[in-house]
Amino acid sequence: MYSIELRGVTKRYPGGGAEPVIALDDVDFAVRPGEFVAVVGPSGSGKSTLLNVLGLLDDPTSGQRLLDGTDVTDLSTAERTRARKESIGFVFQDFHLLPTLTAVENVALPTAFDPGDASGRAADLLTRFGLGDRLDHEPSELSGGQKQRVAIARSLINEPSVLLADEPTGNLDTETGESILAEFERVKREGVAVVAVTHDPLVEEYADRVVELTDGVLVGGVPDEDDPDRNGTDPEPQEAETATTGDG
Amino acid sequence: MSRSDAASRSGVSGWLRGWRPAVSMAARNLRRNRVRTALAVLGVCIGVLAVAALGIFGNVLALGAADAIGDIGTQIVVSPNADAGVESLSDADVADIRRAVGGPAVVPLYSDNAIVSGQSDQQFATVYGVEEPGLAFEAAEGRLPERHRQGAIVGAGVAEDLSIGAGDTVGIAGRQVRVVAVLTESETFSPVAPDDAVFLPESAFSADGYAQVLVVADSGESARAAADDIREEVNAREERVDLFELAAIVDEVNNFFSLLSTFLLGLGAISLVVAGVSILNVMLMSTVERRQEIGVMRAVGVTRRDVLRVLLSEAGLIGAAGAAAGTLLTVLLVAGLVAFTPEVDASLALDPTNGYYLLLALGFGVGVGLVSGAYPAWKAANERPVEALRN
Repeated sequence: MYSIELRGVTKRYPGGGAEPVIALDDVDFAVRPGEFVAVVGPSGSGKSTLLNVLGLLDDPTSGQRLLDGTDVTDLSTAERTRARKESIGFVFQDFHLLPTLTAVENVALPTAFDPGDASGRAADLLTRFGLGDRLDHEPSELSGGQKQRVAIARSLINEPSVLLADEPTGNLDTETGESILAEFERVKREGVAVVAVTHDPLVEEYADRVVELTDGVLVGGVPDEDDPDRNGTDPEPQEAETATTGDG
Repeated sequence: MSRSDAASRSGVSGWLRGWRPAVSMAARNLRRNRVRTALAVLGVCIGVLAVAALGIFGNVLALGAADAIGDIGTQIVVSPNADAGVESLSDADVADIRRAVGGPAVVPLYSDNAIVSGQSDQQFATVYGVEEPGLAFEAAEGRLPERHRQGAIVGAGVAEDLSIGAGDTVGIAGRQVRVVAVLTESETFSPVAPDDAVFLPESAFSADGYAQVLVVADSGESARAAADDIREEVNAREERVDLFELAAIVDEVNNFFSLLSTFLLGLGAISLVVAGVSILNVMLMSTVERRQEIGVMRAVGVTRRDVLRVLLSEAGLIGAAGAAAGTLLTVLLVAGLVAFTPEVDASLALDPTNGYYLLLALGFGVGVGLVSGAYPAWKAANERPVEALRN
């Protein structure tokens, strides 16, 4: 079973003229638990749309969307919100932390309105990401890499099955970017499917599989059928393989 | 997957628990732009001050008027209709009036004029003959007899002019009479004018009819009803009696003051509406500025309802802070007015009904915050996160 899967998904936007813009064209895409997939492609190729559709922020025009094997194509707004909260973690290029909240509160934000206090869990996560001494710092007191670690911790607070990252290293220097990607490796080893939309060749190096999106058409979106056991826990050989796919 | 479901836990405590993080988050958001928040609070404060101060002002005017008019509206004076040739009211007339009005006390009065003299002074005064003075008057000194058999009851004005009190002796038309009681000063305007009168037992009069009949009711309403009854029954065949009643005038006066109060409240409400518009503006600006943040909250799984709660709390906090400050200012203003202006009657300014206007203004202030915050909050909470997150 895939953590997240798109079957024949098309997304059309009403364009300025008579012709609608086709952002995703009959896309098949699937990610196994514990697999790290990088989605590359030129600007305007539909990468953000793909991420939004995967992340239940946007609905496909046609096709099917499955989350942990459950069809989540047509959910109400409230159901989508709940599914996002329970099963999907988001990491953004601009970190998108709330400036009025401390690191711990930012991590606990998805559960802030629930009964019970998640700040213990949030503090544990932050400690795991090496921010044990920054728990009560506000985002303005943190460096870029620290902010992105807080964001990753926030995405994991509800133990999601999928982590979606939009240019996670886009605002970071190479060294910091690498350390963030190392965190992603740790996350995927816990069985979380990681999908990163990126321009950064560094991300492609860390990914188990690189898929390319061009004008809404996705190549290699579904893992090899011959190799059903492949689950991304062994990144070394795949890295070489996917690197060639990515370059080609 | 953790299935935390606040919605399934119903009840007040669950509902409150949902608001607590919202209010705490809202308070922090408001602190981000202190000047803007302070100005919005100031707007509500002025609006609430206007509503409360003008409301209390109108109320004090109305109370003052009611105080001045007193219970004028509860008395009816029935006198013979001279135009119809009726010179005085007979026992039969009094019986008719009693039957007509039912509940209210009926006090027939004989009337004459006489020189009243004290120790050193004397003056011309109306002298009434009354059997049951206790039904219509109150004693300041001495005691009003249930049945007036002997002695004189002196009106407050006469007692003061002639400096006499209960137990003294007063000369009426040359006869010395002991004073059994002095009446309280009358707060009402009435053609009977008890302040400048002396009341003797009916036996002191040899007249063959009553000059007036007082009808004393509990309220203006029952006085009006009694007057109508007398018109219908006693004056059924011929216009035997004239009625002097002020209930209708009192109604008019009260109507005028309630209109004035409403008008003043309306004036105050305009400034509160302006304050509401400023909250609307602040909330719209702040939600547009924080569009991405709200989008992130929605993306990571915060429900529309909780986003709405945070934003409504912000508007509500502005409203509540402004309302509290405005109410406090009004209290200080009224206290200052009472302390430094001797013309202001403290008992009127401190009348408990003024508290109603304070509460009203306080409620209005919070309400204005919530109402004007509702649209921006609803708009922001319902924006699709995918739109909000777009740079």
